[in-house]
Amino acid sequence: MSDTILSVERLTVRFGALAAVNDVSFVAERGRITSVIGPNGAGKSSLFNLISGAIRPQAGRVTLDGRDVTGWRPDRLLAAGLSRSFQITNLFFELTVRENLRLAAQFVQPGPQLSNVLRPTGASRAALARVDELVERFDLHAKLDELAGYLSHGEQRRLEIAVSLAARPRLLLLDEPTQGMSHTDTQDTAALIRSLAGETSILLIEHDVDLVMDLSDQVVVMHQGQKLAEGRPQAVRANPAVQAAYFGEHADAEAH
Amino acid sequence: MPEASALAAAAAPTPAPRIARLRAMQLLTWLFFAGALAFAAIAAALGDVFFFRLATEALIFGGLALAVDVLLGRTGLLPLGHALFFGLGAYVSGLVLKHWMPSLWLALAVVFVAALAAGVVAGIIAIRAKGVYFALISFGLAQVVSKIVFNTRELGASDGIIGIPVLQVGLGPLTLDMAHPPSMFLLTLAMIGVLYAVTAWLMDTPLGRLLSAVKANEHRVPFLGFDPWRVKLGGFTYSAIVAALSGALYPVLRGFVSPELLFFQVSVNAIINVIVGGTGTLIGPLYGSALLTGLKSVVGSFTAHHLIVIGLVFMASVVFFPRGLIGYAAPALQRWLDRRAAARIVSESAR
Repeated sequence: MSDTILSVERLTVRFGALAAVNDVSFVAERGRITSVIGPNGAGKSSLFNLISGAIRPQAGRVTLDGRDVTGWRPDRLLAAGLSRSFQITNLFFELTVRENLRLAAQFVQPGPQLSNVLRPTGASRAALARVDELVERFDLHAKLDELAGYLSHGEQRRLEIAVSLAARPRLLLLDEPTQGMSHTDTQDTAALIRSLAGETSILLIEHDVDLVMDLSDQVVVMHQGQKLAEGRPQAVRANPAVQAAYFGEHADAEAH
Repeated sequence: MPEASALAAAAAPTPAPRIARLRAMQLLTWLFFAGALAFAAIAAALGDVFFFRLATEALIFGGLALAVDVLLGRTGLLPLGHALFFGLGAYVSGLVLKHWMPSLWLALAVVFVAALAAGVVAGIIAIRAKGVYFALISFGLAQVVSKIVFNTRELGASDGIIGIPVLQVGLGPLTLDMAHPPSMFLLTLAMIGVLYAVTAWLMDTPLGRLLSAVKANEHRVPFLGFDPWRVKLGGFTYSAIVAALSGALYPVLRGFVSPELLFFQVSVNAIINVIVGGTGTLIGPLYGSALLTGLKSVVGSFTAHHLIVIGLVFMASVVFFPRGLIGYAAPALQRWLDRRAAARIVSESAR
């Protein structure tokens, strides 16, 4: 299938002398799970920040579904169908779980018309229906009226994904969704991510290499700001350069 | 109702707390306006003037506190210079009433337009900054404007505008005489009631909820598809309009306006009213204004140093009751209501 949802061409950003992302190109296919892996400091998060509009690139191009979206701000990107989650949980901690989801789903009933923006929130049926769907799917029923800040870490991570999925994005960027999760929670989240692939394309950053190899259709390996390899999981795993740079280093890090 | 689910409902720590919380807040809101009407009935029966005028002033400054709460309590911005808009409303209203036409409705319309324009301009300047810097820019804008007004002879300079005519306000078939303290009070109560109702409604729309989202975590808002800058500008402008419309009533009550209305003291008093009454509760600031205006008057009749007393009350409030009067009263009332509801469910299922 050659249907491309996201295409990144020669993307570059420097922080001072450090080229955090240096001339990186890859494509993500529609309806597939594409993963970005690499050791700490490889530039994965910077790459995500560039694609999601959190920072602007100094060079290169990002194309979403055939449209050039380079340097677009996050709110505009969301309207164009791109949403993201965060590695460090980034919720509205002093608001309830319900309100977190409702705010995130607000966009499914788009904002431009005054009548939608000014109608009491209880009346925006589309958004509330979306909240119900998400609650069901992410098993958050029992916690609906709790403040997001009072949830357990695993629950917050789940809510983080639910929030990023609420606006029905066509491309979902997941930044280490299983970060800090227990083994069981990680397995559940993996199953969840797999189930999402039917409705949205996914770009994933993940530290857990086994999980990535298991989940992904396509893997991009980054190292020191550059793309080291790209391909199907098995081919990437077998690539000697990847083994030397990433799996070797990873094994070292584990040993420490 | 099956017994098991009834017991579960009774045992649940917070049965349907979201809907329920609204109930306690609604009760406290009705209590405020019912209390104001009861006060009016008693004061009118006693033929009082002094307390009527004092209570009217408390409501007017309560409107300013309500405006401050939209920013401080809902958007997370501390406006140290909101007297700017209150004073703008008072001056524009005074000028219209004195030089153009003694019509309250005309004055309110002109004030609305002026506040909309001033709110957008000041908002664009102030909300670029965050935290302390927003507070300081807000403060600076008010200082600059108050100095300009203070030195402009056309605006009466340090004397302000005096000799604003006593209004007759047409309300359908009725004509209210603003020299008549009960009429002035009731008109002000109605105006502040409308401002409160519109604000409470607006805070429950997607737009209003986005203000809370900005307060809770501004950084996530763009990733939900909304531009926090626009949200804040909307909130700031709305707040400016509420402050100005409240200020517009001041010359109707007092017959004059003075540059003191633009001073720091007025801005700070509004913030104190908000914090003592309960930040973010909307009705709390009205309670706070009533409480502190009353306190100031009572203490002021004993000593000229009433500001010291107000300062101590404020400090005690911040240290011991940081959530403010309504911030504690609403949950407590709610727990009581929930216990009563739970007890009723149990007794009904036992029957």
